[in-house]
Amino acid sequence: MPPQTDDWADLLEAASGGDARAYTRFLQTVTPVLRGVIRARGRGLGDGTCEDVVQEVLLAIHLKRHTWMAGTPVRPWLYAIARYKVVDAFRARGRRVELPIEDFAETLAADLGPDPTEAMDMGRMIGLLGGRAAEIVRKIGVEGASVAETGQALNMSEGAVRVALHRAFKELARLREGHLS
Amino acid sequence: MKTDQLIATLAADTRHERPLWPGVLIPLVPALAASALFLALGLGVREDFWQAIMVPVSTMRLVLSLTLGVLALRLGLALAQPGREVHARVSVVVLVPLLAVGLWLWAAFAGPAGGMSMAIQGKTMVDCLLFIPLLAILPTVALLLALRRGATLHPGRTAAAAGLAGGGFAAAIYALHCTEDSPLFYVTWYGTAILVVTLVSGMLGRRLLRW
Repeated sequence: MPPQTDDWADLLEAASGGDARAYTRFLQTVTPVLRGVIRARGRGLGDGTCEDVVQEVLLAIHLKRHTWMAGTPVRPWLYAIARYKVVDAFRARGRRVELPIEDFAETLAADLGPDPTEAMDMGRMIGLLGGRAAEIVRKIGVEGASVAETGQALNMSEGAVRVALHRAFKELARLREGHLS
Repeated sequence: MKTDQLIATLAADTRHERPLWPGVLIPLVPALAASALFLALGLGVREDFWQAIMVPVSTMRLVLSLTLGVLALRLGLALAQPGREVHARVSVVVLVPLLAVGLWLWAAFAGPAGGMSMAIQGKTMVDCLLFIPLLAILPTVALLLALRRGATLHPGRTAAAAGLAGGGFAAAIYALHCTEDSPLFYVTWYGTAILVVTLVSGMLGRRLLRW
């Protein structure tokens, strides 16, 4: 079971310090909460589309994580970002939702199982990325390679892989903006 | 792509991004410097600057504009980062125009009877309305660009705060040149110019600060 109290702040703080495992745990912990809210609000859209939205929100959280200040509560920050992005993602799919912030707190315990759903959009966007960036994202995401392994395979330094990866996420968010809304 | 795969990829990106504060200073400081330079070389600092700065009523222009700039900047930064305290920052920002209006009323009633409309009009109203927005362009654009890295829930309001800050800083810079020392003049026209910058920035920002 993911932690229910404010270890979120500890995880995120460790993540900001460069701890990838803490960051993975953080994202894994918030994902079921996001998924619960999104499925409850997105009834009729289908699990695949809902998972697309989950992934969009995760990407947004990732790209905006520097707007969280260490030492402040994580939840108000996280829920505000998630809510903005969920409303945005539903609107892009032709659906208006009212999404009270309390939804997030209330779905906390719901729907915690592992998720088998394959989302479509992110794969397509990665395809649009093209070139090296797409290769890096696929190597790490789909093949489960580490940054070091990816660097070796593509004949790049670790630092260069990280820079390219970071740019790739920004580009993915931009592509999504252009393709859906 | 499965969500677990996405998470693994996101977690591999451990690069640390600079926080908005003090990151915002990187574009803002050069922008302010450029505006100040434009004033110094293009318009020139008023010749009696050192005498004028000893006169409280004249110096209030500088103090009020600069305070407004700093407080609006703080508000913009809070708005761009969800979960930050906003209400207190709104209150202190609002305090500045209230003070300015108080100063205006004081000048209107304490000043010599008659000639009030002349004092309001001054001699350089057009310059003021032209140059303050002009001087505000760079700082406001710098702020908007910096705030794009934020995650505002209210793009219009956040951009308006950026405009208010840019306008406030620009007014403070323009005050180095301007020789109109009556609050009847500067509260009226500095205020109008800052308001214009705020509104334009707010309108631009509704698109620019969406994410």
